[in-house]
Amino acid sequence: MSSLEPATAASSEARLGAQFLGAQFLGVRFLGNARIYWRLLMRGAALLIVTLGIYRFWLTTDVRRFLWANTEVAGESLEYTGTPLELLLGFLIAIAILIPVYAGFFVAALDLGTLGQLSGVLAFAALGLIGQYAIYRARRYRLTRTIYRGVRFHQSGSAWRYAFCAVFWWTLTALTCGLAYPFQIASLERYKMRNTFYGDLGGSFAGSGFALFVRGFPMWLMVFAPLALTVGAFIDVVDWKALADAVEHGGGDVMSRIEGSNPGLAAVIVFAMLMAGLAASAAALLYPAFQALILRWWSSGLRFGELEMRSSLRTRHVYSAYMRFLWYAILFSIVMVVIGGSALLAVGLLAGDDKTGTGGEVVATGILLVGYVVAALGFSTIYRATVMLSLWQLGMESLQLSGLSALDRVKATGGPSSPLGEGLADALNVGGY
Amino acid sequence: MTSGAGVFFDGVTSARHDAVVTLAASGLQIAGPDGALLAEWPYDAIEGLAAPDAVLRLGRRGNRVLERLEILDPTFAAAIDARASYVDRTGLRQRRQRTSVIGWSVAATLSLLAVGYFGVPAIAERLAPLVPAGIERKLGDAVDMQVRGTLDTRHLGAAFECGTAASEKPGRAALDKLVHRLEAAAALPSPLRTFVVRREEANAIALPGGQIYVFRGLIAKADNGDEVAGVIAHEIGHVAHRDGTKSVLEGGGLSLLFGMLLGDFVGGGAVVIAAKTVLQSSYSREVEAAADRYGAELMNKAGGNARALAVMLGKIGGATEPGMKILLDHPETKARVAAINKIAAARPGSPLLDAADWAALKKICAG
Repeated sequence: MSSLEPATAASSEARLGAQFLGAQFLGVRFLGNARIYWRLLMRGAALLIVTLGIYRFWLTTDVRRFLWANTEVAGESLEYTGTPLELLLGFLIAIAILIPVYAGFFVAALDLGTLGQLSGVLAFAALGLIGQYAIYRARRYRLTRTIYRGVRFHQSGSAWRYAFCAVFWWTLTALTCGLAYPFQIASLERYKMRNTFYGDLGGSFAGSGFALFVRGFPMWLMVFAPLALTVGAFIDVVDWKALADAVEHGGGDVMSRIEGSNPGLAAVIVFAMLMAGLAASAAALLYPAFQALILRWWSSGLRFGELEMRSSLRTRHVYSAYMRFLWYAILFSIVMVVIGGSALLAVGLLAGDDKTGTGGEVVATGILLVGYVVAALGFSTIYRATVMLSLWQLGMESLQLSGLSALDRVKATGGPSSPLGEGLADALNVGGY
Repeated sequence: MTSGAGVFFDGVTSARHDAVVTLAASGLQIAGPDGALLAEWPYDAIEGLAAPDAVLRLGRRGNRVLERLEILDPTFAAAIDARASYVDRTGLRQRRQRTSVIGWSVAATLSLLAVGYFGVPAIAERLAPLVPAGIERKLGDAVDMQVRGTLDTRHLGAAFECGTAASEKPGRAALDKLVHRLEAAAALPSPLRTFVVRREEANAIALPGGQIYVFRGLIAKADNGDEVAGVIAHEIGHVAHRDGTKSVLEGGGLSLLFGMLLGDFVGGGAVVIAAKTVLQSSYSREVEAAADRYGAELMNKAGGNARALAVMLGKIGGATEPGMKILLDHPETKARVAAINKIAAARPGSPLLDAADWAALKKICAG
């Protein structure tokens, strides 16, 4: 008892008593300590730099172990059983597959025929497809490495089918400027949850794409209406034929010709920039609300047999998570600028007048490079420790479960899957938690 | 403490069993509240699993059935930790494993850098001669398109090349004569294609597949035909050594090594680009020195004055800006001049271009 702080000892005693009495904490709790998570991420970031990124498999495993183990559902916490070596193996297999693919694209690009010219587009499409395949397989890996009350989750279904569906939906969403997105995620989630099992308990998804569309449409309007106005203004005000003529005749005074052909052009351009700024600000301000909307809608749609989940996530909590991120990011930027600036100044002073000295130049470049890497890793770490942790915690703790009795009668089935999906996702940079 | 409470999951169903756990001599005995034995685990088969801080979660090593035992009492947990060697409550084993991982990762990083510095050029050297001439030509055409696109800033298109207009044709003929003499002495497996282009810099480049571009700035700076010939001989050296193809293979190899193997690493992109740039620059210093040697020897063979190459380098080299020495693709000019002069034949023959041809060549871009 002496090795633990009194609070933990008392609560564990209380739980001991509660469990013997058969009472359970219903609902979901997150037990993790944010400070421990910060330390985990910062140590991980430092080791990532030293090992040029090879440590990422260990860091990912640590993060997942922390998040899973501190998420308690109905009195029992989840367990993550993945290992870093599995992730490393998955990555190696993925490279073995991707090398011939990349080599094929390289050779195709050399052939200057139609295939060569299309190769860029084909490469993009193929990698997009493989990326979606990887996401589905990686989800299977994570599910089969999640154990709750001694029973494993698993996932069936065809990853290629998911990949083709996902690419189809993404194309549709791109063509409709995002309007198809609610229907996209509803359709894909339905497929994923239909194929998700806790033991022999099958999952399903009850969220409606149309409901999300209706709730999200005002946000979409606030971002896209200014852009639509801009396009309208351009079509209306600008005389395209005169503009094309002015550009074609070219020469030294192209700018004045263009202005001459379209007197309203300058005003329209200013209007366009204003509207673009408005759209960008709306997007930035609404992003946390958008995240909250999707998370709430998605959590409320999850079903496992009779077990139903509802989310009572409050949007303002998501906003405070993002505010925390901004606050830490600004602090961090100030520190980086001060340290980086003084380091460069010191190098400049020490190098003195010897402007051609290689020593000073090399050190300066080295400082800039190290500064860039530290900045990138720093912002990423701050984002993970503030926004991503908060979203996980908020998402979990706002879950209300009903029909928990379904969890007591589950039989174990299924075994662990291969880590190939994780490896591909890592190699193609489509990772997640 | 020899016994305490625990929660047992048998890994067959998700039902929770309240259990009484006893530290027996051979292992942990897990019994239900009614006394029935649920499981018995030998001590060296027990491992600790990921759990919240207040809980000790135990499982059986290597067991496909996912039995789980959870102990909440810290004193009892410590007692089990003492008996079971694979339970790592203090995290000591994990720390040791972590340290060895870090050690091996650093070693792997260092060997990656070593392979990048030594291995990639060696492999490119072996692979370049194996690339069939047809593919090399296609590669050359692809690079050619990009190079023309980059160099031809005024979008002259076909007119970017000198020697096509009527007044320029004598210059083109003079160039052909010069290149022919060098080609005959070089005895290359495939034919060269040489062009003079309207760029003001004093430089020349060689592409894979045997195309050589000479900039008109070079011809303007030269004082006689041997100086131009020396530079072309240097470029022929690049073609003979298949440096263009090697450079493509090296770039690909470095991309593979640093790009793919590093994978999803935030901020790693900059490290990758930096590593590639520095390594590729270091390769090209040796490549240029080798091309110098080839050029000087080819001039000797063709009966020209190899020292002219050194003179030309001296004229061009002085114009480079002082600065990032590590990134300077060309080694110190003085060192190159000295190396070339050492190889140059003691008594060069007659100039490769007579006065009339030289005058014509000087006007190749005049039209």
